[in-house]
Amino acid sequence: MNKEIIRSSSQKGLLFGIVMIFLVLINFHLMASTMISKLMGTNVLRGSLPEARFFIIFLVLYAIWVGWSAASREGKTIHKLFEGLFAGLIAGLTVALFGLLLFYMLETQTDIRKYLTALSFPSMRFFLLDMGELGILVHFGLFTLLGLLGSALAVGLRSQKVAHFKQGVKTAITNLRLRITNALPESVNKYGKYGIYLLLLVILFLLPTRWGSYYNFVFGMVGLYVILGIGLNIMLGLSGQFMIGIAALFAMGAYSVALLNSPIPHGLMWGFWPSLAVGVVMAVIGGLLLGLPIMRLRGDYLGIVTLGFGEIIRILLNSDLLTDITGGPRGVQNIQQPTFLGTPFNDVMYAYLIIVAMAVSIFLYYRLENSRTGRAWLSIKEDALVAQATGIDVQKYKLLALCVGAAFAGLAGGIFAARNQFTGPNDHTLMVSINVLSVVIVGGLNSIPGIILGSFALRGLPELLRELETYRLLVFGALLVFMMLVRPDGLWPASRPDLEEKGSPGLKEDIEPAEEGRSND
Amino acid sequence: MTEYIIETIKVSKSFGGLIAVNEVDLQVPRGFIYSIIGPNGAGKTTLFNCISGFYTPESGNILYYGTPIQGMPTNFISSQGISRTYQNVRLFGNLTAMENVLIGLHNKLNSNLLDAVIHTPRSARENTWSLQEAVRLLEFVGLKGFGDYLANNLPYGLQRRLEIARALANNPRLLLLDEPTAGMNIQETTDLTQFIKRLRDELEISIILIEHDMKVVMDISDRISVLDYGMKIAEGSPSEIQSNSRVIEAYLGPGGAALAEKYQKQRRNSHA
Repeated sequence: MNKEIIRSSSQKGLLFGIVMIFLVLINFHLMASTMISKLMGTNVLRGSLPEARFFIIFLVLYAIWVGWSAASREGKTIHKLFEGLFAGLIAGLTVALFGLLLFYMLETQTDIRKYLTALSFPSMRFFLLDMGELGILVHFGLFTLLGLLGSALAVGLRSQKVAHFKQGVKTAITNLRLRITNALPESVNKYGKYGIYLLLLVILFLLPTRWGSYYNFVFGMVGLYVILGIGLNIMLGLSGQFMIGIAALFAMGAYSVALLNSPIPHGLMWGFWPSLAVGVVMAVIGGLLLGLPIMRLRGDYLGIVTLGFGEIIRILLNSDLLTDITGGPRGVQNIQQPTFLGTPFNDVMYAYLIIVAMAVSIFLYYRLENSRTGRAWLSIKEDALVAQATGIDVQKYKLLALCVGAAFAGLAGGIFAARNQFTGPNDHTLMVSINVLSVVIVGGLNSIPGIILGSFALRGLPELLRELETYRLLVFGALLVFMMLVRPDGLWPASRPDLEEKGSPGLKEDIEPAEEGRSND
Repeated sequence: MTEYIIETIKVSKSFGGLIAVNEVDLQVPRGFIYSIIGPNGAGKTTLFNCISGFYTPESGNILYYGTPIQGMPTNFISSQGISRTYQNVRLFGNLTAMENVLIGLHNKLNSNLLDAVIHTPRSARENTWSLQEAVRLLEFVGLKGFGDYLANNLPYGLQRRLEIARALANNPRLLLLDEPTAGMNIQETTDLTQFIKRLRDELEISIILIEHDMKVVMDISDRISVLDYGMKIAEGSPSEIQSNSRVIEAYLGPGGAALAEKYQKQRRNSHA
């Protein structure tokens, strides 16, 4: 064994050990165990501790990860195994030392909650798996053995045979799909797509009535973020304008609906639909007004200015100056509900409304992306100078992108305000803009499935996993960093459409797509 | 209408203290392949940038079919039928070859936002036409079957061709080619030379060419201008340029003319 291996694996082990200690210091181990316990169907009452075995599950997963990441990608098998074992050993040692410290504090009843709030006695006892000093040994043993197991797993799963097997499965699936498509009559293939859409529609229609108002609320939030994401994607993903102030445009839609359709402060009762239309138009005007002075800015500079724009709008809404007009810090209350056949909207109807709005947005987006306009936007993002020299009026198209994107944001804002029956300055903070930005980037620029996935991951999950409440931002940040490292193009990266076949009727067999370098790799 | 497709009259452009283009006069007759040569830093690309609208010349006029176009925005100049390629290939790298050509067709299409959203007959018609046109152009430049590749993933020679296809999509009357054979091997260079000739002969496009490969220049040019330190030092047919002593000096330094004469004499003697 050479020194290099020992050095790198001991570093890995130490790192994982320290991270584990940190997680315990913020009480993450308790929370994670609670979550695992719930996932496995054993409910944990508030204020009580989950069973220790759920913490062991967490530990097992963590320790396997240690071994997995310690095993280097190249080199001899025995070296890799040793790396895993050694990293596990070091991590175990670190954790065990920490455990020893906790054990000592438990024995002497040293209370350090004054300095480390999370580290209560029950939490310490829980970390030692309710076994006292034996827990230390269990920790040490687990880490060492599972480190070895993790590296063995890494060796096994990264081997040539597994790669071959994966490839084989992939080919088999493709073949099966081809065979099914060939076996089915042409009409089924042609209209099967619509069948799937129909099924989806039925599911979407039935779900809101079945799963209760809380889920409708969460789902609505996700849907609104999808619409916002599409709006931002037109600015950022298609035309390449780094916009961080989308919350301001969102606010314009929301406040239009709020002010035109509530008793206080203006007493205008225009009804929901006209005010929603006004909201969309207002957002478009906002986008235009924002766009005019910033046409010459690019990249980070544009980001800073739009960020400032978002803050200006929020501060204006919050200020005393405009209290008579916008309701000031208290916001606008009692926004009237839209009605359907005489009955005001309930949560199910709102879910439907959001589904329809989402479907319309997605439809519009696809139509736009594969049009002359969409391609002009894309070319501006790629190289504005060359785009202009190719005949594209760059300023006009950039403004157009801002306005179209703003329309989507206004739509989402209007629905948001009516659904909550309230809107105030705090609904339109910088965090909203950043969330939308994260949704688009984590999901994948220019990819609708990506944006939907991103909305569920970043907006839906935190709502559903209320356990994580305290650590939401921590997990959020960690997730972003992790995503950017592992999938820099987003959860579901976009691919460019295949167009050559469409342009050459009757020549299909002549065009032979080559193996590598295709756009959809 | 004049017989010249493009005419520059005392065009000057400087950057700070450096005069990149100094009162250059060019007259490019219609249907010509007109080459601009000169040592590195002579101002050739700057002149191109002035013609295509990237730079506004400080003084002088650029006449296209007799109308001044200097200082106009690049998209306007492009819409008038002037297309160009770039010294370092500048494609829309993350888009496919087809999309690159379709963007090149921008001037030829009219559908707007509303057409795109509600699929009017006009947009449907334009859509079909533009796709077919793009395929035809790809075929013309020899990129058939590569249409769905990302431009970045194409080999270098093909990227050059794709750039020409994008320029041709604009249906230009004047094509500015900035060092089209740079970085190509001998075979690719020969192919491209033939291709440029075809452009002129089949599509009747006038071409201005910046090129360092003298074999290419002498082979296909109808007329050549030589720039040095921003000034035009010579103009004429290929054979005139070859024997011009100022040109040889610009390339080989002072005394170069004598050197070249000596070399040519030697060669003649050895042949004899």
